[in-house]
Amino acid sequence: MSADTMDGAGGRVPRMAMERWRPMLLLFPERIILPVLTAAGLLLVWEIVVRHYEIPPALLPAPSQVGQRLWEVLPLLLEHAVPTTLESALGFVLASLLGVGLAILLTYSRLFSAAVYPTVVVFQLIPKIALAPLFVVWLGIEMQSRLAFAVFISFFPIVIATEAGLRNTPPDMLRLCKALTATGWQIFTSVRLPYAVPYIFSGMKIAVTFAIIGVIVGEFISAQKGLGYIIIFASSQADTALILAAIFVLCVVGLALFGAVAAAERLVVRRYGFA
Amino acid sequence: MSYISVDRVFKIYGGRQGPVEAVSNVSFAVEAGEFVSILGPSGCGKSTLLMMLAGLEATTAGAITIDGRTVTSPRRDVGLIFQDATLLPWLSVLDNVLFPIRIMKGDLATHRQKARELLDMVGLGDFHAHKPAQLSGGMRQRVAICRALIHDPHLLLMDEPFSALDAITRDDMNMALLEIWQRYHKTGVFITHSIREAVVLSDRVLVMTRRPSTVVCDIRIPFARPRGRDLGETLEFNAICRTLREHIEAGHRRDRAA
Ligand SMILES: Nc1ncnc2c1ncn2[C@@H]1O[C@H](COP(=O)(O)OP(=O)(O)O)[C@@H](O)[C@H]1O
Ligand SMILES: [Mg+2]
Repeated sequence: MSADTMDGAGGRVPRMAMERWRPMLLLFPERIILPVLTAAGLLLVWEIVVRHYEIPPALLPAPSQVGQRLWEVLPLLLEHAVPTTLESALGFVLASLLGVGLAILLTYSRLFSAAVYPTVVVFQLIPKIALAPLFVVWLGIEMQSRLAFAVFISFFPIVIATEAGLRNTPPDMLRLCKALTATGWQIFTSVRLPYAVPYIFSGMKIAVTFAIIGVIVGEFISAQKGLGYIIIFASSQADTALILAAIFVLCVVGLALFGAVAAAERLVVRRYGFA
Repeated sequence: MSYISVDRVFKIYGGRQGPVEAVSNVSFAVEAGEFVSILGPSGCGKSTLLMMLAGLEATTAGAITIDGRTVTSPRRDVGLIFQDATLLPWLSVLDNVLFPIRIMKGDLATHRQKARELLDMVGLGDFHAHKPAQLSGGMRQRVAICRALIHDPHLLLMDEPFSALDAITRDDMNMALLEIWQRYHKTGVFITHSIREAVVLSDRVLVMTRRPSTVVCDIRIPFARPRGRDLGETLEFNAICRTLREHIEAGHRRDRAA
């Protein structure tokens, strides 16, 4: 009895292996060269338009001017990038722990879920940015205020995604576990949590960008340092090139944090071996 | 006393649109080593009956006894197979087969050997390191069969295990299951809505109908084992299939009249 003759699926496995190779060989130029070309093209158009129409730098500096300003103030920008990055990262980690924890409670206690979940959904819907000044009123202008706001703003996507993930286990899989007299803890660790992992990470990818938004908004309102502070300061000086240079550094910070989450996802996915 | 006895069992679900009587006054017995199919249209309460046998659903009235003990909760000497293979996508084929041993905290080393033997038997010996997503539907269902056998249960409960497969794969799976039966001497309850499948596999076929969801006939399948593919071409086989179909159609007519 051979699997191939019985299923008529003999060609299937080799084909799957092929498909895994193809992206690496074919998509490499597409995935690297094309986006770089697009970005370079946009910058070029920007440069030409600014020069041709002689747009004043206070309105819109050319990319070359932004680059020059970036180079001049890079040490300052990096210094201010440190608190922004640390507060975003810390806020995100706290939000992840709290969010996953709350989602577990929501899935395991019907009563708790009935009591709390509607409130979570309502909070998810309100524009949380509007609450930022309240955090300053309550917690002052120090780090804890920005951190609390970053946690607050990035926490809900994680709760919602994790909750959906934990409910994602196929019902027959749960039946099988119960038929094997698995304990609740065994079902949680070996079935429900792994099924939720992709969901948790997609929630975390949203949350990490939200955490940065939270910290920047906090810095707009209250900070004496950080990239958000630099942006507000530069705009009061009409130093548009500095604003854009700070935003560029902010993009790098955002990419780095997002990349860290994506790398962690890749690691966990490889560890668990999701196909 | 029979190995399984189902005695005047009812199951009524409390639904939003009022109660649903999923199983209505069902009684039958299964002897140790017997393979019994329950045949019926979808929605007639077959899965519900199987879940009650597995101890995963309580009976509303009546009692189910397995091996001298009333079923009130799942028992470890039962293996379950569903319509979908329900493998864990992040585990290899081998680890999926070993999943019950992990849950029951059995000895992994000795069972790993046994899992390899089971996989060899169903023709998946070379696929033990593959992930479920790399297998076809029929191959996945074979892994599920190995998983159901790994802890050496006395009883296998199967809920339409081959319904999602194409006709050719399904015939192959029937032959594979016959071979397994020849080899391991389990007791089996097999749910299907395919008349031919029921007759090929079973020692007895029970026909269930809707409204009331009950067993209307119990037919013995006289063919000797081992059985092969050519069984389906005999006159006697087709005569039995016709009798079963008539019983099912009678159930349908009653359904429409009601
Ligand atoms: N958990 C449940 N709650 C309410 N009704 C259910 C539940 N499970 C099944 N039913 C109902 O019971 C009837 C029988 O279902 P089922 O046992 O799944 O039938 P089958 O397996 O024969 O298709 C159906 O009408 C179905 O809608
Ligand atoms: Mg069913």
